[in-house]
Amino acid sequence: MNELPQQLANGLILGALYGLVAIGYTMVYGIVQLINFAHGEIFMVGGFGALTAYLALPGGTTLWLAVPLMLAAGITVSTLVAVGAERFAYRPLRGAPRLAPLITAIGLSIVLQQLVFSFYPDAKKAKVFPKIPGDAFQVLGMTIQRSDLFLIVAAPVCMIILGWFVNRTRSGRAMQATSQDPDTAKLMGIDTDRIIVLAFAIGAAFAAVAAVAYGLRTGQVDFRMGFILGLKAFTAAVLGGIGNIYGAMVGGLVLGLAEGLATAYIQHLPGMHLFGGGAWKDVWAFVLLIVVLLARPQGLLGERVADRA
Amino acid sequence: MTTTTLLDVRGVTMRFGGLTAVNQVDLTVGQGEIIGLIGPNGAGKTTFFNCLTGLYVPTEGTVSYRGTILPPKPHLVTRAGIARTFQNIRLFANMTVLENVLVGRHTRTREGLLSAVLRGPGYRRAEAESREKAMELLEFTGLAAKADHLSRNLPYGEQRKLEIARALASDPGLLLLDEPTAGMNPQETRAAEELVFAIRDRGISVLVIEHDMRFIFNLCDRTAVLVQGQKIVEGDRETVQSDERVITAYLGAPFDGTGSTASEAEK
Repeated sequence: MNELPQQLANGLILGALYGLVAIGYTMVYGIVQLINFAHGEIFMVGGFGALTAYLALPGGTTLWLAVPLMLAAGITVSTLVAVGAERFAYRPLRGAPRLAPLITAIGLSIVLQQLVFSFYPDAKKAKVFPKIPGDAFQVLGMTIQRSDLFLIVAAPVCMIILGWFVNRTRSGRAMQATSQDPDTAKLMGIDTDRIIVLAFAIGAAFAAVAAVAYGLRTGQVDFRMGFILGLKAFTAAVLGGIGNIYGAMVGGLVLGLAEGLATAYIQHLPGMHLFGGGAWKDVWAFVLLIVVLLARPQGLLGERVADRA
Repeated sequence: MTTTTLLDVRGVTMRFGGLTAVNQVDLTVGQGEIIGLIGPNGAGKTTFFNCLTGLYVPTEGTVSYRGTILPPKPHLVTRAGIARTFQNIRLFANMTVLENVLVGRHTRTREGLLSAVLRGPGYRRAEAESREKAMELLEFTGLAAKADHLSRNLPYGEQRKLEIARALASDPGLLLLDEPTAGMNPQETRAAEELVFAIRDRGISVLVIEHDMRFIFNLCDRTAVLVQGQKIVEGDRETVQSDERVITAYLGAPFDGTGSTASEAEK
């Protein structure tokens, strides 16, 4: 099967995208035990922020200049929306029963989708996003689109920065402390409200990077794009062990690989010819989730922790 | 020699619904003093500590530190200069011994996010200073050799010491110890006494909750007794030990021979 390297490459690229978005779920969950179901929409508005920056640039701007500016705009929009959501939607509910912020998150997700749908010019159908022009690269029998180069560089860079931040800086240590025991963290002089904002902001920035990568890859953004991708990223976070930042990336990569390989090969298995192809890829993703959780309920890299009441 | 007042608690009351856990308590701690707080279980000692450190917002009353009324926000209380330990150990279990102390150092370090990301000289210097200070505290508490161990793997007595080292890392003027010798054997208790004196010699005042009377009376300049949320007496060893209300609270009323049963000691 000589297309195997290609399927692996596709799976890893898709997985890195899931992983970047999954970071946002896992960081917020690690600090406040909230599944931020609006995170998919934080990703989506990042894509629209980047698109707006692109449209504002004079035509013919080189992508070497445009992509960083789009990235900056996407990160700004996503971060502002996430921090605003934390301040006005989640913080007033801190200490409320857990279902209250969860429902709020779902509501916020619908609100953000509809705001973009109704007020972004001409967003009722998918908007064209620039692609990086030029021929694809041929490496080791794999074909890599130029647009995917962005993600191939961005994902590892983001992960290295995040790992260093969490383990080596004062704010990162404060973040770990808050996630392990918020009350004690406060008594160590840590302003936990600030740490929570920081967790939302970092997750949003990563989602925006992913949104730019998604736009470049697919050549479009659309107000519904956060829904299924958010769901997959959430799956990746759970698969890797929610609360663990490396788990989020590992879960994303595993999920992406599983989708890629299942799409390509399941139909060749005896008796499975009906279940291959792209239409079934989401099914295989969730089958994988169920199988992993049956064996390791805490996720691949998760630690078993007592559920805080 | 006049001591300056460090902590000034006035009329602190904490009600939970209909239950008054702490009732109109006044207390002062002067510079360089070691003050004890004793009382039967459930007397409200830990609740009182939680009021001092901002974990609870007192229903009534004020807590002042160095003449300024403290806001009921734990991180601001720590920043002002009050640190504490817990009755049930609350270390960051998945961090190393050194990292625990570094977290304790949080309020005394400044780190711009930007300078951290760029790894500027300011960041390096601050990080090096924090580590140096943290190691010094680990030496002080005798934990230096275990700096890289995960804190959850330390034996119990050393976990208590680490909590103290972590609290000292915020450069407090006043340290609140909540039952520092709970679960310790006599030798460990003697060592803890030495440690508290050594802390005082660093210029830090101490307010300590304890059940071990010998520990309290060896250490403390004054001792306050809390019974059912009220401070019934405060003073030196003789004052406290000879006070009938204290004896009643701890041992029950004396048997008067008339057949009416004295209330059992409320342990």
